[in-house]
Amino acid sequence: MNGSILQHLAVTTATDIVRARSVARQEAARIGFGLADQTRLATAVSELARNVLKYATEGSCTIHEDSTPVEMRLHITMEDHGPGIPDITAAMKDGYSTGGGMGAGLPGTRRLVDKFEIESSPGFTRVTISMVRKRQ
Amino acid sequence: MSAKTNIAELSALLEQSRAAIIDEWKRTVMDLVGHKYPGVLSMDELHRHADLKLAAFSAYFASCREGLVTVTKESPLGKMVYDLSSDHDTRGIKPVDTALYLVALKKAISHQLVCAFPDSQEQFVEFLELLHGLMDQLTILSFDAYATTREKVIAQQSQSLMELSTPVIVLWNNVLLLPLVGVIDTIRARQFTERMLEAITRHEGIVTIIDVTGVPVFDTGVARHIMKAVDAAQLLGSRVVMTGISPEGAQTLTKLGISFANVISRVSLRAGVAEALKLVGRRIESIAGAN
Repeated sequence: MNGSILQHLAVTTATDIVRARSVARQEAARIGFGLADQTRLATAVSELARNVLKYATEGSCTIHEDSTPVEMRLHITMEDHGPGIPDITAAMKDGYSTGGGMGAGLPGTRRLVDKFEIESSPGFTRVTISMVRKRQ
Repeated sequence: MSAKTNIAELSALLEQSRAAIIDEWKRTVMDLVGHKYPGVLSMDELHRHADLKLAAFSAYFASCREGLVTVTKESPLGKMVYDLSSDHDTRGIKPVDTALYLVALKKAISHQLVCAFPDSQEQFVEFLELLHGLMDQLTILSFDAYATTREKVIAQQSQSLMELSTPVIVLWNNVLLLPLVGVIDTIRARQFTERMLEAITRHEGIVTIIDVTGVPVFDTGVARHIMKAVDAAQLLGSRVVMTGISPEGAQTLTKLGISFANVISRVSLRAGVAEALKLVGRRIESIAGAN
């Protein structure tokens, strides 16, 4: 990816979820995203970080920007070395959960952002979410 | 010459110039930090500290068979530094000044070594290395001690914050208000659910208002906790009115696919209170004659 890495955060405790999402919100605000987009991004980061903690116990969160004069573009990558998602297609469906949750996390997160990429195999899971807005 | 002999000789030398070291150290500390804490640090106390510390040094050196051993926080010397740091912290002496304290001791000892030991340069260098190795360990320990003390304070504070954070307010007969503020994690969710259910039972709550104005991020985890609390409240026969979801929050929740189907939702706490009172057959009215 072009652009620059804004932040690289560890996700190992519940406090890190709070930090990751508030950093994501701050960065989004700084770039110029509106309040609704900031909230959506923060919620998405919160969901993904919670998943990392729950299924893989630790991972990392990278916030990345490659805005152009025309567009604001923010990407967040969440990586972990946990057991991986056995069935991605099922995990992306509403109401499917292996961890006793509501099963709304991943499909909900996908609806919150503009671009959602997921890859997972045992020992490595990476989710990248992006938000792109035209500058006013 | 073996490390053992070096250590023994260094120890003997320290013992020999003990008075001079203490004297120089006291003066340096008083010069550097004494004026910042008038009445807190006294010469007597410094003297006692230095005396104890040098005695602990001797004991430590005596325990080193092959070169310096690592000073752990359980060893007498480590414990002394640890206690000094936490004692300083509770008395409001800044960590940087505690570090100066130790640095000044290193300086005083080095200086006295120079005075007392001009014989062989080689041995002198070895002495200094031993001394620096030891003092650096102590400085690191004192840093660790300071961090530990602070962590304890933070843990205590977050615990007391936790106790304050979920009050259940009796707004009117049979009407309860539960303002949620801050991060809702599993522990807090359990706590507010317990308190709410207890209050519903005790006050026969017919309506419970849950105000989420102060919840920064509403994700599926938080929603799940609140939904469970709502279900439990309804089992006890209390209606739930939810207030204070922000416009962005509402949008985010629908995107996530979360709907609080059997919950009455009102935009503000004011509207929520009006609704709750209506449910118990009350309303707020102006007093006749007042404008």
